[in-house]
Amino acid sequence: MQTMTLSQTCAMAILQAVAVVIFIFIVVPLTTFAERKVLGYLQDRLGATRIAGSRNGLTGALNRGMWWMGKVPMLSILRGLPMFIGDIVKLLTKEDIIPDKADRAIFIIAPALSMIASVVVFAAISFYPGALFTFPKFVPIVGGLPFSGFITDMNVGLLFILGIASVGVYGIVLGAWASNSKYPLLGGLRSAAQIVSYEVPLTLSLLVPVVLAGSLNFNEMTRMVATRMPIWAVPLLFVGFFVYFTCGFAETNRIPFDMPEAENELVAGFHTEYSGMKFGFFYLAEYINMIVVSALASAFFLGGPFLLPFGLQSFVPAATPFIGGPNVIWFLLKIFFLLFTFIWVRGTIPRYRYDQIMAIAWKYLIPFTLVDVALAAAVRFYMA
Amino acid sequence: MFKNEEMEINMGPQHPSTHGVLRLKLKLDGEVVTQCRPVIGYLHRGVEKICENKTFFQGQVWTDRMDYTSAVANNLGWAEAVEKLFGVTVPRRAQYIRTMLTEFNRLASHLIWLATHALDIGAMTVFLYTFREREAILDLFEAFCGARLTTTAFRIGGLREDLPPGFEKMVRTFLARFPDCIEEYESLLTENRIWKKRTIGIGKLSAEDAIAMGVTGPVLRAAGVAYDIRKAFPYAAYAEMDFEIPTRTEADTYARYQVRLAEMRQSTRIIQQCLDGLPEGPVMAKLPKVLRSEVNEVYHPTECPKGELGYYLVGEKGSTNPYRFHVRAPGFINLQALPMMVKGSLVADVIATIGTLDVVLGEIDR
Repeated sequence: MQTMTLSQTCAMAILQAVAVVIFIFIVVPLTTFAERKVLGYLQDRLGATRIAGSRNGLTGALNRGMWWMGKVPMLSILRGLPMFIGDIVKLLTKEDIIPDKADRAIFIIAPALSMIASVVVFAAISFYPGALFTFPKFVPIVGGLPFSGFITDMNVGLLFILGIASVGVYGIVLGAWASNSKYPLLGGLRSAAQIVSYEVPLTLSLLVPVVLAGSLNFNEMTRMVATRMPIWAVPLLFVGFFVYFTCGFAETNRIPFDMPEAENELVAGFHTEYSGMKFGFFYLAEYINMIVVSALASAFFLGGPFLLPFGLQSFVPAATPFIGGPNVIWFLLKIFFLLFTFIWVRGTIPRYRYDQIMAIAWKYLIPFTLVDVALAAAVRFYMA
Repeated sequence: MFKNEEMEINMGPQHPSTHGVLRLKLKLDGEVVTQCRPVIGYLHRGVEKICENKTFFQGQVWTDRMDYTSAVANNLGWAEAVEKLFGVTVPRRAQYIRTMLTEFNRLASHLIWLATHALDIGAMTVFLYTFREREAILDLFEAFCGARLTTTAFRIGGLREDLPPGFEKMVRTFLARFPDCIEEYESLLTENRIWKKRTIGIGKLSAEDAIAMGVTGPVLRAAGVAYDIRKAFPYAAYAEMDFEIPTRTEADTYARYQVRLAEMRQSTRIIQQCLDGLPEGPVMAKLPKVLRSEVNEVYHPTECPKGELGYYLVGEKGSTNPYRFHVRAPGFINLQALPMMVKGSLVADVIATIGTLDVVLGEIDR
């Protein structure tokens, strides 16, 4: 690779950051749309099929269009798609209420903290271990440079991700405390206890691929876990995946672990007093966290950009066309499947009680992962 | 060094899962409930007093609006209480149709209970599945009397109209489909580990306590007491029906869930029998245009989906109105067991317990 000047490096970093943010802000609204539709079809109904508005004008035209789409078998699933823009417009234009007795400064900072923590994680996530494409020569500044599938290639990428992701809980706890109200307080306390507890098995389960790959570098780990595993590692990765994904539900406050916001108990939990775009930030942060959890699960356990999960790719010759090497399509498909699983689970099972959730983390998940990590270390010893 | 204080929190009247406008004053030590005081009356309309100023015919309309999820069962109680007061004999065909519709209403009410109970515990899909079947039942009511929710289905002395054409076919279609639907709900909940963890051992109410509190209905039967007014003091056509009273002995939320599901199965049996054995004949007894009562009093209990619904009527000589009217509403009496059931449990269990008592505030506040 040719050496880059400072301005080229800066321009490249900004371009990649913008690309990731665009990716997030396309996928998040699509996930909310998918949640409406998937839940709808799970529950024997149609989900969103139209948007609010007048008979005339843009909304009227869109609604008429969607009415026609309803008559076409495949297209009818896409009705309600404009709703994701409607959501954002609604959140932005809604009155933003700050309670009189709230701690104003912290009340305002908290949602931003949640949001920033979940977006910054993407700095260390690699979608593809190499260049996605190369800029043509005529482009100013960055002409001729490759556009890689990751922003930074840190040696301690995983540590960075875990560190930043755990900042997100501060947003929830501070927001709950600053609201100076009882239901948010209960939600905030629950979430502090829950997320601190679940960080432990979550991190331990990520130790399995770390030990097996012998690296903390995102690209290196993904490649090693996908392609250099002995057959013994497959069940360990399988178990690690399930523990990680379970903890992921807890980290993102999704059913069955949606204690902090348990709407049927605590009204809306920690964001009861929030409205407008401040609420929107918490809402977006939850969905971005879902993407982060899905991305990490697919990278470290499901083989990332390689086709086969749990290290099974090791048994496919690298020279096989199309499925032999890495491809960004596989990575995205895995993320989308896991996002679908989040929604699927929400439509299927009830919510645990607060003390039961803690019991699961401490009594089952942590001992389980400790054994898993020990076995992974044994396999690693055998590999070396 | 540290100040230790209990937090008082208001659950309701505007809360997503207090089933209307129930307000609970909870004292919390952390998440543990140390005291629970229900505050009611937000939906008080004075139904009992209003009915004293209405004629016996008009009073029925108000019974719809008490327990609005089981309006037909409420209508039946009123109609039979007034018939008892005047000594009217209702034709047999009308009795059968009344029994059938009341059992349909039991299904509708239990479906709403299951929907909201599951939703409170976080299983949102069951909610929409049960509403699908409830919709079919409401269509039946609509075909019979034109109204879906506040039906005023029956008249004193019988029915206003016979069954509409095609009604029998609708019922048979529904009966053919419904047992599979119950299986569907059960497949989502009965063996679900989370559902069992959230309901087994939660909101316990022993048989002694239940009887001392006057609790009736599925809550009592889940404590092992086989008390069902349909068997104990048969009314309408229940004496001719073959059905069982499902009971459990665990006396917890899960047992009540199983009892209610078993009751839904029994209700389909009763509906099937009503339909197969439907006698021919008139549906309305001969009645004078105006009912003028003697000095007389009557208490008529019926087995509402929620428990014993009793109507107490006092007649005044020559009057077209009841002199005194009182309702023994099952929800009101069952609710008084709530503080006992939730003491020492967690906030999440309070929600599960409210759900399992199946409270409807329209009937509690009247």
